[in-house]
Amino acid sequence: MIIGKKHYWLLQVFGWGCFFLWHIFGAWSVDRMNSPEERLIITQRAAGFALLGIAMTHVLRIVILKLGVLAKKIAIQIWLFLLLTLLMSFIAGTAEFFIYKQLGLFIKAEERIFHKSLLLILLNNALAWFSYFIIWSAVYFIYHYVSAAQKAQIDTLKLKSHIKELELKTIKTHINPHFIFNALNGIRAMVDENPQRARSAITELSNILRSSINIDKSETVALSDELDIIKDYLALEQMRFEDRLQVAYEIDPQTINKPVPPMMLQMLVENAIKHGISHEVNGGLVEIKSAIEGKTLELSVENTGCLKPQQKGGGFGIRSIRERLQLMYGDHAHFEINQSEPGKVRTKLTLPASI
Amino acid sequence: MRTIIIDDERLARNELNKMLSHFESIQVLDEASNSNEAIEKIHSLQPDLIFLDIQMPGKSGFDMLSELEYVPKVIFTTAYDEYALKAFEVNALDYLLKPIEPQRLEAAIKKLSTSIPVDSKVPGELPGSDLLTENSQVFVKDGDRCWFIKLNEVRLFESVGNYAKVFFNGHKPLILKSLNALEERLDPKAFFRANRKHIINLQMVEKIEPYFNNGLLVELKGGEKIEISRRQTVKFKERMSF
Repeated sequence: MIIGKKHYWLLQVFGWGCFFLWHIFGAWSVDRMNSPEERLIITQRAAGFALLGIAMTHVLRIVILKLGVLAKKIAIQIWLFLLLTLLMSFIAGTAEFFIYKQLGLFIKAEERIFHKSLLLILLNNALAWFSYFIIWSAVYFIYHYVSAAQKAQIDTLKLKSHIKELELKTIKTHINPHFIFNALNGIRAMVDENPQRARSAITELSNILRSSINIDKSETVALSDELDIIKDYLALEQMRFEDRLQVAYEIDPQTINKPVPPMMLQMLVENAIKHGISHEVNGGLVEIKSAIEGKTLELSVENTGCLKPQQKGGGFGIRSIRERLQLMYGDHAHFEINQSEPGKVRTKLTLPASI
Repeated sequence: MRTIIIDDERLARNELNKMLSHFESIQVLDEASNSNEAIEKIHSLQPDLIFLDIQMPGKSGFDMLSELEYVPKVIFTTAYDEYALKAFEVNALDYLLKPIEPQRLEAAIKKLSTSIPVDSKVPGELPGSDLLTENSQVFVKDGDRCWFIKLNEVRLFESVGNYAKVFFNGHKPLILKSLNALEERLDPKAFFRANRKHIINLQMVEKIEPYFNNGLLVELKGGEKIEISRRQTVKFKERMSF
C-alpha cells in the first residue's frame, strides 16, 4: 500500500485521462462532434479541463503537504480538506474562465450565462470543479488514511517484537555464565575450606538466579531490594577475588524505597567488576552511591579502572540500559559513563524520583 | 610431570591442587596468580605441564603464552568463554571447564602422558640459551587467533619489519621477533638462513635450481620460492652435501 511518487503521477494521469475521454464521449453522445470545428473545440476544451485538473490538484497536494495536513487530528484533517478543495475549485473556475476566454473556447450555453453576469459563470465553474476535486480529495485522503493505519499496525508489531527481543537479551546478559561457573567453582573449593561460607554462598547464588529469572515480571523494584541482590552478588565476587575486591556503600536512607528498574544497578556493578576490577592485578574498589537531587534519583557506581574508548558509546550492555530507560521513562532518565578521575570509572543513572 | 597451576583465584588454584593430588604422575611445583608471575616461574622451573586460566588480570593466558620462549604442555582451564576457545585452532589443545569434572581431568592427563613427548629440557639450564629443535612447540597469537605450532611444521620465517611471518600449513601469522633473534634460537641443523629476509626449514625444501649471480632458488613444499644469496649458497651446498 505504500506507493511512491511514480504511482501518484500514474494515478493522476489515469484519472484525468478518464475525465478527458468522458468529456469527449459526452459531447459525441449529444451530437456535438459533427463538424471539424466542433471537434477541435471540444477536444481542446476536454484537454484543457484535464490539464487544469492535473495542475490544480497537484498544487492542492503541494499545499496539503506543506501545511502538514496529514499529520493533524482526523477532524481537522477533514475540515482542512474541504476548505482547501473549495478554495482550489474557485481558483480553477476562475482560471478556466480566463483561459477559455483568451483562447475563444466558450460554448454557446456559457456565452449566455456570461452575458448575464460574470460572477454567475465563475460560480458555475467553481461548483463544477468542486464536484471533481472533492472526488480527488476523497481518494487522496482515504489512501493516506488507510496506509497510515497500516503503517501504524506494522510499527506496533515491530515495536512489540523489538521489546520482546530486548527483554530476552537483557535477561541473558544478566545471568553472566562466566560469573555463575566461577562462583560455583569457588563454592566447591569452599566446601572443604569453610563449609559455613559455602552454605551462605549457595543462598546468595540462588537469590541472584531467582531475581534474574523474575526480572520480566515486575517493571520496577524498590532500591532496597536491588541493593540486597547487589550485596549477594558482591559477597560472591569477594569470595573469588578475596582482598582484591573492596566494596563501599554510600546510600541515602531517603532513597531506599524509591522504585528502580530491576537488575539495572546490578548490571552496572557487574560491569564494574568485569571491565574494571578483574583486569587489575592488585584489584580495586567498587563504590555504590545513591542520592536525591531535587526531583531526581541519582545512582552511581564507581570502580578502579580505565575507560576504553569503545566502551564510552556502548557495547551491548550500555545500549540496552539506554533502551530500557527510554522505554520506561522516555526522556526523563539518563545514563552516563565517564572517567571521573584518573584510574577511576564512574557510571551514573539519573531516574525520576517519583512517589 | 612437573606442573605449575596458573589462575588468579586462590580458591580455584586450591581446588585444582586438591584434585591433582590424586594423580601420582603429577607433581605440582608451584602456583602463579598472574601472567607476569607465571612467566617468571615457567622460566625458572621449566615445568613439563601448566594448567592455565585464560582470563586473568593484566595479560590473558593467550598473551602470556605468546611471550614464552619455552612453552610446556598446556591444559587450559576456563569457566565459560566460548569466544576465546573458538579463536583457538584446536591442534594441541585440551581445555577443562570450571568447576572441573574429575573424569575430564583424568582423561586430559592420560591423553598427555600417551602423546609424543615434547622435547624435555634439562632443568637448571639457562632459559634462552638452549636451542629450539624441530620437536619444540611454540605458541603463536596473531590478533584473535592462536596456534600451537611444532617447529617441524614450519616451512619458512619471513622478516616483516620488526615482525616475522611464520609459514605453516595454510597459515602465516606474525610474531613479534626479529629474524636475527630467531636464527639464534633455531637449530642450525634444521633451519637455514637463506638471505636477509628468510629462514627456511631444510626438510621442507622441494626443489633447488641455479639462480642469477651464482645463487640458488629453492622451492618449498608450500610453493614458496626463496632465493639463497650468493654468500649463503656456499654454506648451503656444504650443508646439503653431507
